[in-house]
Amino acid sequence: MFIDALPEIPDSELERFFQIMLTQYGIDFREYAPASLKRRLGTVLKRYGLASLNLLNQRLLSQPEYLDHFINEITVSTTELFRDPSAWVALRQQAFPLLAGLPQLRIWHVGVSTGEEVLSMAILLQESGLYAKAQLFATDIDRRALDQAQKAAYPLRLKGLYQQNLQAVFPGLSLAKYTREEEGKLIFHPSLLERVRFIHHNIVSESPFGEYELVLCRNLLIYFTPTLQDKVVTKLVDSLVPGGILMIGTKESLFWCSAAKRLVSLNEIERIYRKRL
Amino acid sequence: MIFQRRDVYLWLLGGSAGSFNPIRRFIQQMPFQIHVAIVICMHRLRSLRMGMVEAMGETKGWVISEPDDKTIIQGGHIYIAPADYHLLVEPEGYFSLSVDEPVHFSRPSIDVLLEAVVAARWPRAGAALLSGANKDGAWGLYRMYQAGYFTAVQEPSDAEMPTMPQAALSLFEPHRRFTADRLVEVCLHALSL
Repeated sequence: MFIDALPEIPDSELERFFQIMLTQYGIDFREYAPASLKRRLGTVLKRYGLASLNLLNQRLLSQPEYLDHFINEITVSTTELFRDPSAWVALRQQAFPLLAGLPQLRIWHVGVSTGEEVLSMAILLQESGLYAKAQLFATDIDRRALDQAQKAAYPLRLKGLYQQNLQAVFPGLSLAKYTREEEGKLIFHPSLLERVRFIHHNIVSESPFGEYELVLCRNLLIYFTPTLQDKVVTKLVDSLVPGGILMIGTKESLFWCSAAKRLVSLNEIERIYRKRL
Repeated sequence: MIFQRRDVYLWLLGGSAGSFNPIRRFIQQMPFQIHVAIVICMHRLRSLRMGMVEAMGETKGWVISEPDDKTIIQGGHIYIAPADYHLLVEPEGYFSLSVDEPVHFSRPSIDVLLEAVVAARWPRAGAALLSGANKDGAWGLYRMYQAGYFTAVQEPSDAEMPTMPQAALSLFEPHRRFTADRLVEVCLHALSL
């Protein structure tokens, strides 16, 4: 097999995969965008040296303890501190003034992955003098990623990128203010996570569990079909207080989402919206 | 949700270092075709989110954009893969984006785009691979060739960086080899088939 080849995923094996995930584990992948899901599954099979999806299906059936590991592989953990810095600048300049006067600031990070996004938010709140009244809820379907997020420790090789992103948001601010280096790791100060709760939660199948002034869901909707995007965005908008803020990924769109009519755009380029009052 | 967009011919262009000017020239010279969507996957700096559309200059009536996730594929449009996202074609007739790991150190990756077209069994498509300093795109183009789509590769001697075209030619002989100044002609030939 040519080195770049990914195993083929026949539709019949994919159907079996959907069935196993749904009946054994209650996780519904049927409304994930098929092209990216198939590619992701192919990548996982290749990494494990499995020649077909059926072999993975068998493993999922016979080894339930394997599930967390598999979820960690199939979900995409691409994230970074202040990813898309201009979006964070816009959030601070355009959304924070609308939230600053409120008595409390409940923030939900949907699909927080390995936690860099919630650390970015904690720093943004600290630097804006809003951290003391904030409560942050960080959820993900991936338990392993959540474990990692709670450690707030990242490979030291990311330091340059993170410093660069931080400075694009706060010129002159040094990453050293919030981090220390230890045994090849870049470790964020535990105070940043003092007001953060990490919770295992599947946005596809579970309801929101609270009301929020600010919801971030960035680069998660891209993995869903338009139908599922519509369902998920409805949940997100339902969970916002009137006047609350929704931020999605900069290339994500609410085109397919009926709940979009309950939002007004604060910044169309950075995809920041406000729920109508 | 049912889409009826699969009648659009997808003309796919992949390139990396040394491909910007040939692709730009192609975009400026290619006559408008209402039934064709041109999809461009070019390696680029991840930090440059804006400006690529403007840098392409005037076209002969094409609507040019960087698609958002789940944008419906339409004829008469030129789509440029956005920086730092993979661009995929979905069977139902829209694009998907992903932030999966880079392929050949590249996101967007040409392989990811071309393989998605094959996996979607898009009815009509053709692809050309241009200059580049790595081998992203070679495997995807080969998969398109195997699936019966029209394929073309820039002559390595004509390419500013021959690695990418050479990687494709080491796998198979495409329907056409071309020099950059003939890219419009190659595309029109593919459309006539």
